[in-house]
Amino acid sequence: MRNRVRELRENIGLSQGELGERLGVSRQTINSIENGRYLPSLPLALNLAQCFATSVEEIFTQEET
Amino acid sequence: MKTTQHPVRRALSAIVLATGGFALSIAIWASGSHGFALGALGFYAVASIVVFLWAGGRGDIAAILGTNGDERQRSLDRDATAITGLAVTLVALVGAIVATARTGNPGAFGVICFVGGATYVGALTVLRRRR
Repeated sequence: MRNRVRELRENIGLSQGELGERLGVSRQTINSIENGRYLPSLPLALNLAQCFATSVEEIFTQEET
Repeated sequence: MKTTQHPVRRALSAIVLATGGFALSIAIWASGSHGFALGALGFYAVASIVVFLWAGGRGDIAAILGTNGDERQRSLDRDATAITGLAVTLVALVGAIVATARTGNPGAFGVICFVGGATYVGALTVLRRRR
């Protein structure tokens, strides 16, 4: 699974800690999501999409095998 | 993540550790090893204080110890608990086999195996109805 969380976060000028604070998760969790080590739950993915004013599909895409 | 941590939540792991350590120390005392009991009591008191202080810090371990983690930290806790369960299961099974071979009775290992197996079946029965 690829994601654009880092790119979208940087576009709105937030640090990992600030984004985590907005979403109610830790900075480490944002870091893990950005690096593809952790796949967020659907509620968290929806919150991310809301925070970036986009859709979940715009953030997460299935990697081609 | 800056969240206001409830003092009881922060202290929960330390309270569990302190209670277990206190009970163990009383058991050791009752067995007659008073010096060892006092040593165990001191060890668990210090360990509980360390856990309490650590739970007030930052990072994944602090969040898990303070029972205040986010979804990823809770999943880390669940996975670590599952791995711990596997290790305990392995030790209990090997212990039961060895104890049975030596004495004809699995003893305490058998009880652990039974409780573990029954809990697993019970938990599966309940959880599959909820998901």
